[in-house]
Amino acid sequence: MIPVFLAQLAKERRHPVILIVLIAASVAGTVIFTGGTQAPTEIAIFSEGTQSEAIEEKWETLLNHNSELQFVVSNPEDARESVQQGQADLAIRLTETDYTVITSSTMPDVAVAEQHVRSVFEQEAVIESALAQSVQPELLRTEIESAIGDPVMQMNVSSLGGDELSGYDMKTQLIFAFTLLTAMFMIGFRVNNILKDKVYGLWDRMILSPVTKTGMYTAYITYAFFIGFVQILIVMLIFRYFMNVELGDRFDLLLIVLAIFTFSMVSVATLLTGLVKKPELFYAIYPSVIPMIPIISGAYMVPGTITNPVLLFIGDLFPVSHAMDALLDIVMYNATLQDVTQPIMMMILIGVISMGIGVNLVERRSV
Amino acid sequence: MIETIQLSKKFKDKTVVQDVDMYLDQGESVGLLGPNGAGKSTTISMISSLLKPSSGDVKLNGESIIKNPSDIRKVLGVVPQDIALYQELTAYENLKFFGRIYRVPKDQLEDRIQHTLELVGLKDRQKDLIKTFSGGMKRRINIASALLHQPNILILDEPTVGIDPQSRNYILEMIRRLKVQNGTTILYTSHYMEEVEQLCDRVYIMDHGKVIASGSQSELLSILSNEDTISVQLSKMSPPLAKEVLALEPVRQVEEDGDTLKIISKKSSNIISDLVRLADQHQVKIINFQMVNPSLEDVFLHLTGRTLRD
Repeated sequence: MIPVFLAQLAKERRHPVILIVLIAASVAGTVIFTGGTQAPTEIAIFSEGTQSEAIEEKWETLLNHNSELQFVVSNPEDARESVQQGQADLAIRLTETDYTVITSSTMPDVAVAEQHVRSVFEQEAVIESALAQSVQPELLRTEIESAIGDPVMQMNVSSLGGDELSGYDMKTQLIFAFTLLTAMFMIGFRVNNILKDKVYGLWDRMILSPVTKTGMYTAYITYAFFIGFVQILIVMLIFRYFMNVELGDRFDLLLIVLAIFTFSMVSVATLLTGLVKKPELFYAIYPSVIPMIPIISGAYMVPGTITNPVLLFIGDLFPVSHAMDALLDIVMYNATLQDVTQPIMMMILIGVISMGIGVNLVERRSV
Repeated sequence: MIETIQLSKKFKDKTVVQDVDMYLDQGESVGLLGPNGAGKSTTISMISSLLKPSSGDVKLNGESIIKNPSDIRKVLGVVPQDIALYQELTAYENLKFFGRIYRVPKDQLEDRIQHTLELVGLKDRQKDLIKTFSGGMKRRINIASALLHQPNILILDEPTVGIDPQSRNYILEMIRRLKVQNGTTILYTSHYMEEVEQLCDRVYIMDHGKVIASGSQSELLSILSNEDTISVQLSKMSPPLAKEVLALEPVRQVEEDGDTLKIISKKSSNIISDLVRLADQHQVKIINFQMVNPSLEDVFLHLTGRTLRD
């Protein structure tokens, strides 16, 4: 088994390009896409009619006050067209005292924006109502705004353990999503070496040697696990120590979950290898299938975005969704090993079943 | 040493090898000759324990290897038809890998690698990647990989396919040295009859999965003792002429090769005057005419009506 493992390692050492490219892709993908999420989301606002300019000016200031969203006055036609063509999730049509949300999406960000707009309009309605009965409306407005800034009662939100409740962080989620995605590629390519060596006759030569078949499979599978985990580890270390990304206090637990994910993914790749006849076919199918798995599993989206039960079921069949659950719980909510037992068990279950079926199929596959 | 008894292999409904009886004695060099698709590779896959026969048996020193293949694997070196090497590794690294999987003792491995590289004449290229080698050099390393554990029996499956004549001669000479110097038993498959003629003490001729003739070269050639082989070089090839020559009573086989007709006819039958007449009729000139010594190729032609390369 060891010579077979070492031969795979020697090949990698001689051609580390794929490993380096995938590590770079993990980091670059995260940096590029999280750069986008950190920029405020722009929402078009517009008004129609003779008073439109005054209305837009009034509400633009109010809506942008204390908001992470950015409301931008826009041409009504452009705003509507952007929504129709799917370039924007929503636009807001303003009137003197009311608004209309124009959207064709049910994404969570629409609800978040709508909630903000409603609260601004409700607050303004209360203030306007009070001002209507006041003899000194400008003074009253200043007093009300001052009172809102320094409320009599304040509500503090904390976790069950009394700690500060961590906010949801898309950047952390994308770090894991891209790291797992690129690791899936690496793992698949290396598991496919079994098929490659079968086609090129090396497998038969090994069978004729004293190396047992179990030893041969173990060597290939262990190597795929090893190189996949090394890739993940390097990416995690880059984020933690070179890019100073906050990855929680339980880095050890993160690595345990990532190791179990790697095992599970090696098994899934073995299963997929067993389903194809030629290594070239694997190279054609695998890169097409793999990017869909994190999408179906919701790895790139805010939790709760995917609600379709069929997609959720399909996502649950792959280890990515379980790994993401466990990793985000550990980083964002300081989850312990007991807290992430369920996703870990699911990954192990997927791993064991896929490995059993996969090795069987690969063994039966004549090339 | 090794014998096969009624060895057969079926893939679904297709019989690829049928009732093959063969034997190899210690130190002997045996050729398995046949055209592509004759069943040679399947036969040696069964002998080397890679493939289970549908029926029949393979015995090593009287013991069946079907249930316990480890016995034959210990003493066997197999050179596959394909280049089964890690292209991304150097020649040295490949040999080290094969030495390790064959559990060559660590203290002997380096010596064996150097000795084997010397044997195949690639010691000075050991640090080069296999993918930078020519076809002939790859074939030599392919053979070297099967020699590191010093096998008693060496099976070579068409080891010279697709290489230049110089590399082919080198490989043939190397195999001859292995037989003479080490006493290695050799089973050599090929569809090049001249290689088998050069290397082998005995020959099995296969066609359509069956052994159609076997014996030493002289025994096989004696099949043609009642026949003459005549080579006729023409000014141009004429298929209608060849057809009419084949229709002559004493003629058994006619093979067209470029502008030459190879004719197998009954011993001492006088067909020359008929040939001249037919050539005149078809307006073809006879440039050269000679009686040739029969070869294994002629034996195959005689037995099957086809050439080895058909």
